[in-house]
Amino acid sequence: MARRPPLRAAAFLGALTLTAFALLAYTPLIGAISQRLDAVPDPGPADAIVVLGAGSARDGVLSSSSLRRFVGGLLLYRRGLAPRLILMGPTYQGSPIEAETRAAIARELGIPASAIVVEGGGLTTRQEAELAAARVRTLGGRRVLLVTSAQHMHRARRFFERAGLEVVPAPVIEVSPRAESPDGRLELARLVIQEALARLYYRVIGQL
Amino acid sequence: MAVTSALVWVIGRRGLGLRSSALRPALVRLLEWAGLTAVFYAVNLFAGFLAVLALRKLTGSFISIYVNTDATLALLSAFQALVFQWWRAESE
Repeated sequence: MARRPPLRAAAFLGALTLTAFALLAYTPLIGAISQRLDAVPDPGPADAIVVLGAGSARDGVLSSSSLRRFVGGLLLYRRGLAPRLILMGPTYQGSPIEAETRAAIARELGIPASAIVVEGGGLTTRQEAELAAARVRTLGGRRVLLVTSAQHMHRARRFFERAGLEVVPAPVIEVSPRAESPDGRLELARLVIQEALARLYYRVIGQL
Repeated sequence: MAVTSALVWVIGRRGLGLRSSALRPALVRLLEWAGLTAVFYAVNLFAGFLAVLALRKLTGSFISIYVNTDATLALLSAFQALVFQWWRAESE
């Protein structure tokens, strides 16, 4: 009996998939795309620094993204760009509240407790924007330095502006666009594609 | 990769007696597998996305859509594609 022929459509799609894989992993293409799409750092004085949540493990260990954003916020505070540091981040399936973990580290690093605002309620970027806006209004300000990943900044900025805040973007680089190792480039591709899908989703449901 | 591929070519031809004309269809099978993996991954991603939305609605608790971005989903989709491919071959 003759062998079943290969599925032509699947083979064609496979050729496209492997070509895309090769381009993303072994050429600087994704770095160039990322640099074109991502927000450009433009930090300036503001009423508060808002550091968005990015995840922590059940034992309270901050994710790599969370730590990078947190350090970005600390550096802005140290540079004297704002008098308050609003730390965001909820609990993830029973983990300690990310914002509180960050606040504890900030205090240990010498940031005055009076300058730290802990906001652990926001589960989505939109909720974080609304909660941060309420906090900033209570503090008597409107202009915030927004700290999140370069990929996430565009979407986050829209939510924060919609919540009535004036946003100064302060993106942190979570994966360098100049990554030269194939796995670094693939990680960057994952972030870029993930954010593109997120933007598409929020556009479809009319929230962006 | 180039060295080990060349080594496998030599071993396959001389040691195992494999036909060189069978290499091209084997590469087409690779393309087929990669395409099936992409299809399974897209379907799994979409199903996971719908499952998160449904669970949010049914339970009232928050589940992040980012659970679907776990890298193991791609690996499991590749396994699905491989089993489907072999199943199809074994059904001859």
